[in-house]
Amino acid sequence: MRQFLLGFVAVLLALPSAATAEVAVQAYPLPNGGGSPHDVAVGADGIVWYTAQRSGQLGRLDPATGKVELVPLGAGAAPHGVIIGPDGAPWVTEGGTNAIVRVDPRTREVKRWPLPAERGYVNLNTATFDKRGRVWFTGQNGIYGRLDPTTGVVQVWDAPRGRGPYGITATPDGAVYYASLAGSHIARVDPETGAATVIEPPTRDQGARRVWSDSKGQIWVSEWNAGNVSRYDPKTGEWRTWKLPGERPRVYAVYVDDQDKVWLSDWGANAMVRFDPESEKFEAFPSDRRGANVRQIYGRSREVWAPESGAVRLVVYRMK
Amino acid sequence: MTGRAATLLVALPLILSSLSAARADAVRGARVFQRCYACHSVVPGEDKLPGPNLRCLLGRRAGAGPGFEFSPALVEAGAARGLVWTRATLDRFLADPEGVVPGTTMAMPGLPDPADRRDLLDFLETAGSCRPG
Repeated sequence: MRQFLLGFVAVLLALPSAATAEVAVQAYPLPNGGGSPHDVAVGADGIVWYTAQRSGQLGRLDPATGKVELVPLGAGAAPHGVIIGPDGAPWVTEGGTNAIVRVDPRTREVKRWPLPAERGYVNLNTATFDKRGRVWFTGQNGIYGRLDPTTGVVQVWDAPRGRGPYGITATPDGAVYYASLAGSHIARVDPETGAATVIEPPTRDQGARRVWSDSKGQIWVSEWNAGNVSRYDPKTGEWRTWKLPGERPRVYAVYVDDQDKVWLSDWGANAMVRFDPESEKFEAFPSDRRGANVRQIYGRSREVWAPESGAVRLVVYRMK
Repeated sequence: MTGRAATLLVALPLILSSLSAARADAVRGARVFQRCYACHSVVPGEDKLPGPNLRCLLGRRAGAGPGFEFSPALVEAGAARGLVWTRATLDRFLADPEGVVPGTTMAMPGLPDPADRRDLLDFLETAGSCRPG
């Protein structure tokens, strides 16, 4: 398999304007040949993978050296999401060719599991793993599905309200939830039967875009249209909703870190925002680039990574 | 039979053939539209999607239209640069959205195949037409 080792050594740029006493911010510029990064994932080894959607590649950044390598995913590829599997490999929702893709982190071998042809183009979005090592994924054209890598079986279900399934997450107890952007709801998926149950957030037409579970299995939702972050407690069925600060917040991505702090990307403020559920306070980290457009957030212990699609760079927030 | 009618009669098979081809292109365009379907619609009143309704798009100024909050980049392209959606400008935009309107929030990476873009534009011209019925 061809690999492009660009030998690209980034100029590691500190961003003092966004840093705080507790958080150090560092940006890694990406090579022009990789296009703008859409999603990002960091493994336990600290290696960062990102989807270069426009160029059909998966990027690999070594933050220790700033070196970037681009792995081509094949003709017609336009990868949207990337996550790290329990095997330590990056798994990709490959929207261009309608397939789930695994890239071997050692050999860079690309393995594909196409969706059933009769489903047509589904606009694959994001994936998550359940406790049994199966991949759950969403397709914005109105589907969600499951791949069992041990058998290679791919199953696809119609989403209960059609188009919209976007972000997806798994809770510590093994439940799977997705957000429907066009449908303005979240849904709980039974990982055994595949049945989905719609759960309505309290704000009408809020545009639930992405979801993430905290350590207690509570589901955090970024609301694109409404500019809110909301929390659903599956044990009680209760919702809490908070409006982000600023004149016109537009909340794209959500991620809950290992301290149960909630990270959000707000396109209205062109900032990353950290929310403390205990104090109910927001803390903003504005980008120093116009239109940074962070579409997803991912992290590991004491690190939160944000792909600035509009600035063609990856930014890390390290807790001191 | 007038000369004009005779000319029409001679030309009719050609016209019917080209109309049929246009319909076929629009049918293929409907399949290409699946790339856009998650965020866009051409159905009147379907206007709560992540992207704007594309009905009556041709002839419209970029970043303008009822019932949608467009990105600052698209508003600027229309208001300051005078970008108007024609088949030619849409063809360029669909080939490379970020290249034509830097900062657009539309995540679709582009349609590299000119035939796909032509079929999609045929679909938008027919299914997305402003004409009633």
